[in-house]
Amino acid sequence: MSDATVNDTTKTTGEPLGEAYLDKFPAEAKVVRSALYSSFLMLALGGLFGVIQTLHRTDFLRIMESETYYTVLTAHGVFLVIAFTIFFLVGVFTWGVTTSLDRGVEDIRFTWVWLGTMSAGAVMSAVAILAGFTDSIDMSADVLFTFYAPMQAHPLFYIGLTVFVVGTWLAGADWFRSWWAWKKENPGERIPLPTFMVLTTMIMWYVATIGVATAILAFLLPWSLGLIDSVNPTLTRTLFWFFGHPVVYFWLMPAYMMWYVLLPKISGGKLFSDPLARVVFVLFLLLSTPVGIHHQYLDPGISEGFKFIAMTNTMFLLLPSLLTAFTVVASMEHGARQRGGTGRIGWLKALPWRDPVFAGMALAGLMFAAGGFSGMINAGMNINYLVHNTLWVPGHFHLTVGTAVALTFMAATYWFLPQLTGKKLWGRSVALVQVVLWFIGMTFMTNAMHRAGLLGIPRRTAEPQYDGFEFEAGVGSVAELDAQIALGSIFLTLSLVLFFAVVIGTALGSRSDDIPANGYAEALSGPEDSPKILDNLKLWFGLAVVLVIIAYTFPLLSIIERGGLFGPDITAFPQSIDIVSMAWVTAEQYAVDAFTSASEATQAAINGVLR
Amino acid sequence: MRISKEALLIVLAFTVPFVVELRTVLAWFHIEVTVFESLLLGAALIVAILVWALFPQDGSRDTDASGSS
Repeated sequence: MSDATVNDTTKTTGEPLGEAYLDKFPAEAKVVRSALYSSFLMLALGGLFGVIQTLHRTDFLRIMESETYYTVLTAHGVFLVIAFTIFFLVGVFTWGVTTSLDRGVEDIRFTWVWLGTMSAGAVMSAVAILAGFTDSIDMSADVLFTFYAPMQAHPLFYIGLTVFVVGTWLAGADWFRSWWAWKKENPGERIPLPTFMVLTTMIMWYVATIGVATAILAFLLPWSLGLIDSVNPTLTRTLFWFFGHPVVYFWLMPAYMMWYVLLPKISGGKLFSDPLARVVFVLFLLLSTPVGIHHQYLDPGISEGFKFIAMTNTMFLLLPSLLTAFTVVASMEHGARQRGGTGRIGWLKALPWRDPVFAGMALAGLMFAAGGFSGMINAGMNINYLVHNTLWVPGHFHLTVGTAVALTFMAATYWFLPQLTGKKLWGRSVALVQVVLWFIGMTFMTNAMHRAGLLGIPRRTAEPQYDGFEFEAGVGSVAELDAQIALGSIFLTLSLVLFFAVVIGTALGSRSDDIPANGYAEALSGPEDSPKILDNLKLWFGLAVVLVIIAYTFPLLSIIERGGLFGPDITAFPQSIDIVSMAWVTAEQYAVDAFTSASEATQAAINGVLR
Repeated sequence: MRISKEALLIVLAFTVPFVVELRTVLAWFHIEVTVFESLLLGAALIVAILVWALFPQDGSRDTDASGSS
């Protein structure tokens, strides 16, 4: 159902009024609402751990031991980049499929089953992580979001992740099932754009999760259960990044979907090109997975040639993002000109900046541009060496997932909540301040993180300073960078508080008849202009698999040939160190060095006397 | 006002990255600026924007050039 088909009456909001999503799909609205509320719970927890770790690391407020930092860091990472994002996107995808196909899901009980499966998995993993805060439970999962060997978590963590991912697979099956049913009823019709986006994203996800499923089920889980003695760390790292990079696109593609189907509508215009949007999603499907090795430029055991192939693939992946930037800005300009905007730059003033949905998404898109540029640095094999494992990298992904995705999701929430609850958005001005505050907070935090990375300040550690070594900033000081990071995190926390105030205020409000109609943007160039081959999902799935085989077969064979399937007896972290033998080895080394020095000095003295 | 309060908020937000990175840009030209001087520059910029935004255009009554949703 496009917005052209809804009742075109307008009231004070300027939005067409008509049937809200809740009115048309009450059962699905309940599922989407539950998914979104689950994601907000994860956002609250992840955000709390975010500010705790930032203030600890920058030494402004220390309320925990540094050893606990890794538990906090794991909770921050997993709750936000896995649970918050994916719970939100399954809600949005359910909305996208049902709205664009104009039909409900095939069996709502199955829909609840996959949401329940995901929730059960999230709870299991969360318990394993949070148990790390207490010594009274013999359980921890301080393995960070990048949970590869030799760091080892409690089996419950891996089981939880597996159950969660299985839930997402079932969700995908639900959406495919709905599409197949629609296809039978509408033979020869083009796949509506939001459904096309959901299906291509899910095919990408099915391909990508093969890596993490193999890593967990074949190696990490049996290893943590004690069924196998050791694993091959390079192999588990490679399998992790097989999934670890495309998961980034699993978060990002729903944000892109919002930019393509909601932003033009909110701007007051139409999507510039439906065919171009389809091309972008096909390119993401093809290119997202065969790039993971670019996270392993500094890993030994993978030859430079394979890394070079991964770099080339990654550079190709810039294309769909650049196409998106063009299409989204063109759509916004079209909307602005429909609203009376004129001039080369002057049209920007005509955009609905007072609408938090628009302002949030536009600011998120702008910051994503900056994140894209720092991503190009990460992707280049040579220049990556400068910033690898420094604070630059968190600076980069706080612009991409932390802003492009999270801010878009928060802004979209202000559109979805009235649709899902039938209640008017509470605190529209508060919502606007919230998105602006997020933009300012991230400006401070990511700017300082990028600059600190250029100084070589490491990531993933509670104590980035070393004895006898001072980091020196090119401009200003390291203390100023720390202050910027802390200030940014405080702004972000305040922004989150405002976000939850708006969500709770809206949820507690009363029903309203003044809700804008459900729908999404029409396109200036519609699906009829796009080649039919774009809708051939079997072809794109086949090509995606072929590209993955080309990119990964030889590196994986080489890694297994070198280190074996189960590795050279790698003990789990934390490794035990035998203090006595270490001391003996050190003393022995000192003795040998002293004897060598003395011999050389004696020899030199004898030579001098003889001359 | 030349622009709406909401648009003014967005414009002020855009000054933040500008002010934050101004020191780095000036350092390329060998102009060292302290944090305090940066804050002063930022405050001056914000005051200038506020004066521009709040001052009535051509002495006429307030207008709202920004679009509304």
